[in-house]
Amino acid sequence: MLANILVTTLVNAAAYAMLAVGFSLIFGVGRIINLAHTAYYMLAGFSIYTLVATAGCPAAPAVLLTIALITVIAVLCYKLLIDPMREHETTVLIITIALALVFQELMLKYFGGQFRSVPSLARGFFVILGVQVTRQHALTCMVLVLILGAVWLLLQKTRLGLAIRATAQDKEVANLMGMDVSRIAAITAAISAALAATAGALVAPLNILEPHMWLHPLTIILAIVVLGGLGSIKGSILGAVIIALSESLVIFLLPQGSFLKGAFSLLIMIIVLLIRPEGLFGVALEGER
Amino acid sequence: MLEVKELTVCYDTAMLLNEVSMEVHRGELVSLIGPNGAGKTTLMRTISGLVLWEKQMKRGTRAGNITITGEVYFQGRRIDQLPPHQIARMGLVLCPERRRPFSELTVEENLGAGAYLVRHRRRYQDTLELVYRTFPVLKKRSRQISATLSGGEQQMLAIGRALMTRPLLLCIDEPSTGLSPLIKQELFARIKEINESGITMLLVEQDVNLTLAMSTRSYILSHSKIVARGDRNELLADETIRRSYLGL
Repeated sequence: MLANILVTTLVNAAAYAMLAVGFSLIFGVGRIINLAHTAYYMLAGFSIYTLVATAGCPAAPAVLLTIALITVIAVLCYKLLIDPMREHETTVLIITIALALVFQELMLKYFGGQFRSVPSLARGFFVILGVQVTRQHALTCMVLVLILGAVWLLLQKTRLGLAIRATAQDKEVANLMGMDVSRIAAITAAISAALAATAGALVAPLNILEPHMWLHPLTIILAIVVLGGLGSIKGSILGAVIIALSESLVIFLLPQGSFLKGAFSLLIMIIVLLIRPEGLFGVALEGER
Repeated sequence: MLEVKELTVCYDTAMLLNEVSMEVHRGELVSLIGPNGAGKTTLMRTISGLVLWEKQMKRGTRAGNITITGEVYFQGRRIDQLPPHQIARMGLVLCPERRRPFSELTVEENLGAGAYLVRHRRRYQDTLELVYRTFPVLKKRSRQISATLSGGEQQMLAIGRALMTRPLLLCIDEPSTGLSPLIKQELFARIKEINESGITMLLVEQDVNLTLAMSTRSYILSHSKIVARGDRNELLADETIRRSYLGL
């Protein structure tokens, strides 16, 4: 059972971390709370479904095509709808939630509301420490962890990464150092959406697909980023692990109570907020200009 | 090198700059002196493009109701319609008021961010060495998170970061705020050195004595207007200016 908890935690943590990191990135750089973030994840699921189950496309190109498609859609939405309104925070919230609902309704219209499932991208399973681990779980987990590592390297070791971190700290000074802040924000929006799409594409075969599937992860990643500290990448990853662990503990230890997993996650968030309002790694946002 | 022509800036109904004209020639160290709220920082922010950027970012709100009239030329090119990153690219770089290091980044990452425009590895290393030679304390602290530096060190970091962009004209806004007299003198000596190494400078300061002594020329800004200009002797020769603006 312990091993079961571990495997479930790992897969969920990786997927949540992926979503939360993207959400945090665009918040950090653009101060944008993108409520449509998990809608990209949902769209990616439907894209994979269409490509693999309907069109019979092989797994790898389907995943890449999905990521590219969702990223393009997200960048268009960012440039046309979000960027012009960036300074009006409430408007951004309303626009992004509206965007998520539009995507949901479009999927409802074209695919209907019934539950669907995506065939595994990798079939079969192997046994680790006496636990059956499907290849799909292993693949999802490994790829997600690799990509998270790559994002970390990008942020820490490259010129673009440094510019992203500098812009997140102080947009004006970043400007003064010759950084094209709006271009950097657009690139960040693209990275953020690509991460959500990757998570959606790889997790789709493990989950049930339906147009409302963006809502639950949105609640969870909000809990994660608040728990970890808004805008902190480290915090998002740690928060994802904590929340994923609590979810699997609830599922495995309370056999009748798995519906409580969301409540437990949010409870943890509330407790952390009571003790440390800025989150685990957050900084109190100073007055910004 | 820099020429400002009848620059007027209004934030909503408040006029922060009133037909300000000034120029800076190659190699000079020009200072801008004046009481709090005179418009010194606004002038620096307008020249570097930040006011225009702010206007565009906040359009549609009351805070974005900014009007800018007049002209600014740098190296003969008009820059008052350009975004700040392009102005920085041309070599006009502002080291902002209150230092504003990227506080969660290390000292070396801050300097690296300043070198965003410097793509050559070799050139980057040379510039870094130059900055470390000017401010040896930064080298000692290179792996430290910049929020943990003292005020003086943060100011050196801010200037160092601006130097990493390889500026032709370096504008520094109130570098001495909150520093002890000893550190202030040390800092001013470094600023003078940087100027002598061939970087033209525009310096905003409150400390009249020290500033006048090291500047080629000075402008006095009061109530949004340039009220006097000239070198140290010219300014000190005028009794009214001395009394009302220099407090000497």
